[in-house]
Amino acid sequence: MAEETLVLFKNIRNPKYSKSLEGYKKAGGYQTLKKVFGMKPNEVVQTVKDSGVRGRGGAGFPTGLKWSFMPNGTGKPSYLIANADESEPGTCKDRELMLKDPHLFLEGMLIGCYAVGCHHGYIYIRGEFFPAIKSLNTAVEELYADGLLGPDPLGSGFHLDLTIHSGAGAYICGEESALLDSLEGKRGQPRVKPPFPAISGFNGCPTSVNNVETLACMPFILGDGGVEAFKSFGPENNSGTHLVSLSGHVNKPGVYELRMDVNMKDIIYGIGGGIRNGKKLKGVIPGGSSSSVMTADEVDVLYNFDELANIDTMLGSAAMMVFDEDTDVVQLLHRITRFYAHESCGQCTPCREGTHWSRNILRDFLNGNGSDEKLRRLDRVGGNMLGTTLCALGDAAALPIQSFVKKFPDDFRKYYANK
Amino acid sequence: MTSGNIMPINNELKMPVFHIDDQPVEFHPGEKILSAALRNGEKIPHYCYHPGMSIVATCRMCVVDIVDLGNGRPAPKLQTACSVDAAEGMKIETMNQKVEEGRKLVNEFLLINHPLDCPICDQSGECTLQDYSFEYGSGKSEMDYSKRVYGWRDIGTFVSLERNRCIQCSRCDRFTREITGTNEFGMFNRGHELTVDTYTDRPMTNKFQGNMADICPVGAITEKEFRFKRRVWKLKKIRSICTGCSTGCNITIEHDRNEVFRLKPHENQNVNKWWMCDEGRLTYRIMNERKTRINRPLGRVSQNLQHISWEDAYRAIAERISEMEPTGNEVIALTDTHASNEELFLLKKLLKDGFLSDNVFCPLPKWEQIESEFFINTLITTDKTPNRAGALALKIKGDAENAEVKKIIDGEPKVVIILGNPFETEHEIQQKIKPAQLVVHIGSYHNCWSEIADVVLPGQFYSEKKVTFTNKLQQVQSTDIAVQSLRRSRPEWQIIVELAHALGHKFNFSNVNQVFAAMAEETKAFSGLSFDQIGDQGMKLKQTFKDTGMKLVQAPA
Repeated sequence: MAEETLVLFKNIRNPKYSKSLEGYKKAGGYQTLKKVFGMKPNEVVQTVKDSGVRGRGGAGFPTGLKWSFMPNGTGKPSYLIANADESEPGTCKDRELMLKDPHLFLEGMLIGCYAVGCHHGYIYIRGEFFPAIKSLNTAVEELYADGLLGPDPLGSGFHLDLTIHSGAGAYICGEESALLDSLEGKRGQPRVKPPFPAISGFNGCPTSVNNVETLACMPFILGDGGVEAFKSFGPENNSGTHLVSLSGHVNKPGVYELRMDVNMKDIIYGIGGGIRNGKKLKGVIPGGSSSSVMTADEVDVLYNFDELANIDTMLGSAAMMVFDEDTDVVQLLHRITRFYAHESCGQCTPCREGTHWSRNILRDFLNGNGSDEKLRRLDRVGGNMLGTTLCALGDAAALPIQSFVKKFPDDFRKYYANK
Repeated sequence: MTSGNIMPINNELKMPVFHIDDQPVEFHPGEKILSAALRNGEKIPHYCYHPGMSIVATCRMCVVDIVDLGNGRPAPKLQTACSVDAAEGMKIETMNQKVEEGRKLVNEFLLINHPLDCPICDQSGECTLQDYSFEYGSGKSEMDYSKRVYGWRDIGTFVSLERNRCIQCSRCDRFTREITGTNEFGMFNRGHELTVDTYTDRPMTNKFQGNMADICPVGAITEKEFRFKRRVWKLKKIRSICTGCSTGCNITIEHDRNEVFRLKPHENQNVNKWWMCDEGRLTYRIMNERKTRINRPLGRVSQNLQHISWEDAYRAIAERISEMEPTGNEVIALTDTHASNEELFLLKKLLKDGFLSDNVFCPLPKWEQIESEFFINTLITTDKTPNRAGALALKIKGDAENAEVKKIIDGEPKVVIILGNPFETEHEIQQKIKPAQLVVHIGSYHNCWSEIADVVLPGQFYSEKKVTFTNKLQQVQSTDIAVQSLRRSRPEWQIIVELAHALGHKFNFSNVNQVFAAMAEETKAFSGLSFDQIGDQGMKLKQTFKDTGMKLVQAPA
């Protein structure tokens, strides 16, 4: 039976824990930062590289490697930006951290700033997260009052400021280059890459954009846990624990901290307490709405980056959405596609037109106007968005469409078979 | 639109090479595939890319298949040629099935919401969407839903917007942000409702709106002035230069049945890049002006101007002059700086050879040149004549206050030759010239001078003749014959040559090339230049000089 492994949620799962700076310090907080200030920045980057931690925002890019791309001596300031826009449908893990243990994330952020030589960090937080914004604001004020932020944190002489910037609620602003545009005050639209943000990011300066959960891993990796312990939480190349946002038709939905070598079946039936009302499992969307759907037969795999990539889906932001046998997948896909049609920024042709067109076709199915021809067309329109756009939103819209059509064709046919 | 040499080419360095469909293409280090390909005459379809503006890579039309990135490995998927750096040894395919499918799908997506109203669309015939749909599109549509529809909006004084036709390439948005810096145009909404509009619902007022119609790949933004006047495939295009001011923007004069319909900028990196101002575009109206044109030679007989033949006109002038036998100081010529280099040179030569006089004057008022961080603002100057620099180079006399010419006139000249419309606001000069015994006016349009002239000789406008002008950068550029002039008019340089003949001087010029050659030989400023070398891009004077009448001013905020 799978159990939670408490690293990031160590404090949150402690009922006596207070999320104030005092409470966090009592739990051993900001000791790692002190240790990190004694290290050289490149040592910090190397340690993070050694730990093998991969970005928890969705793409799974090795964080240490990302930081090592930041050039030195360009004469421009470097920036570290925490991506707290958590906009992938189904994901609610960063909110949990920011709401209930903001200082863990902030300590990670401070460590990250030191590692990449950033003297002014930004937290780009989703505009709708009012309680989390409040919680973070309080925590940052505490840090300034304590001197942990400002001209001389912990006597290190490393001047550091933090700014919390709330977005205006666009999904696309979770994409790092669109996030930078939005932060600069422009329309949030993905940029052409290269140049990557590490070379030309915020205001044209070297920038690293990291997920909240990724940064929250830093106090453990560089502190009392250490690289080896972190690596031991999962198989090769999938190190650490991760936060799984489990939702859908399970008995016990929620955010759970799990090792990377837990079977998906154990997550659904063990931690999640099985399918509600004793129904049968129909499928799972494994990593946020933009990942390919999995059928009930496919769920016997380890829930980590590489295992899911092997079966042509992805871990993404580890937002697992479970649906039972009664679910109407056409409606589900329509809902997902409607989301992408609404959130497409509209600059690239295939995504702008394709998301809307596929949504129209799906609406035809729901209205009883489906046909074999339209099913084939839906698959084609979805395929035409795949890999043809500037950012990953086109792929994100295409993958569910293609996988739903491929894996649940009978559900689509039901809509027009009896006519 | 063709691409120009943005970076200076150093021929001594061997440029790196990549291959498009097995054709070698040279590129500058750091250049993108599309830019290098277009410069080398390769065809890659594109909508959003414009060489003068930032790269957004959003239309996805310029996809190419990079089968070898230069390191032996292929790119994982189709890449947009506009955004990928060219690399030594790269091998690119633009005509394989993968690329064709890639273009086809983009075109299919673009046509989903684009109205199929080509028959009533003014862009039809020069619309890239139309061209590419024909060339790369699939020919059928599976789209069976209603199209997105927007209402009409007034977006500017010079252009109009039909938003339904917009394909969201964002060129116009980037134009006001990056080229004019006025930021009055932008993208609104998102997803499939993305559209373009002006901010704060106000029509644009910038002076370069016509360029937005030029860069719009479809019929979304069109020129109000030109709309519905003529189908573009009927227009014939002739390279020329705009004479609306001393900038001398390179243009094409577009005409049909001897009527000019519009002027479009033509790329010249040294002069106007890809742009021109709206005021310049409107100068096409003068080319079609017929009411005030002088359409045949006129001679004053008992107070009234009457039609006479060219022969009679020349004979009358020659007779009057031989009767008077004026001295050098009694002959003066006044010209404006609308006259071409050749005409100024010949006028000066006529007075020198014919009357041993160098009393050729032109108005040389002070003028202002705008300095701005946005290049396009520097296109506008307060000097609205095309050839001030030519007059200065040829050492035509004049000063800002017209003091010199006023002094000369006080000597009561007997013979006055007027070219064009100089000193039009100087009534004092006009009044003093009036009593002169012989006033010859050479020009295209009736004005205050033709009223007091004894002989009027009809010239030709610059769209009707082949001559050269020297712009404010002291770049010599040539016009070309776009439309046929009135039957009895002649180019001014020819009139001066014939006048010289009538007065008994041998001017051996039968075409403008010969005049230019003589000018290059006899004047310092033009030495070393030849008419044939000027070509498309113009040539800078070998010996440049400083124009003391120019004042640099900052662009108004």
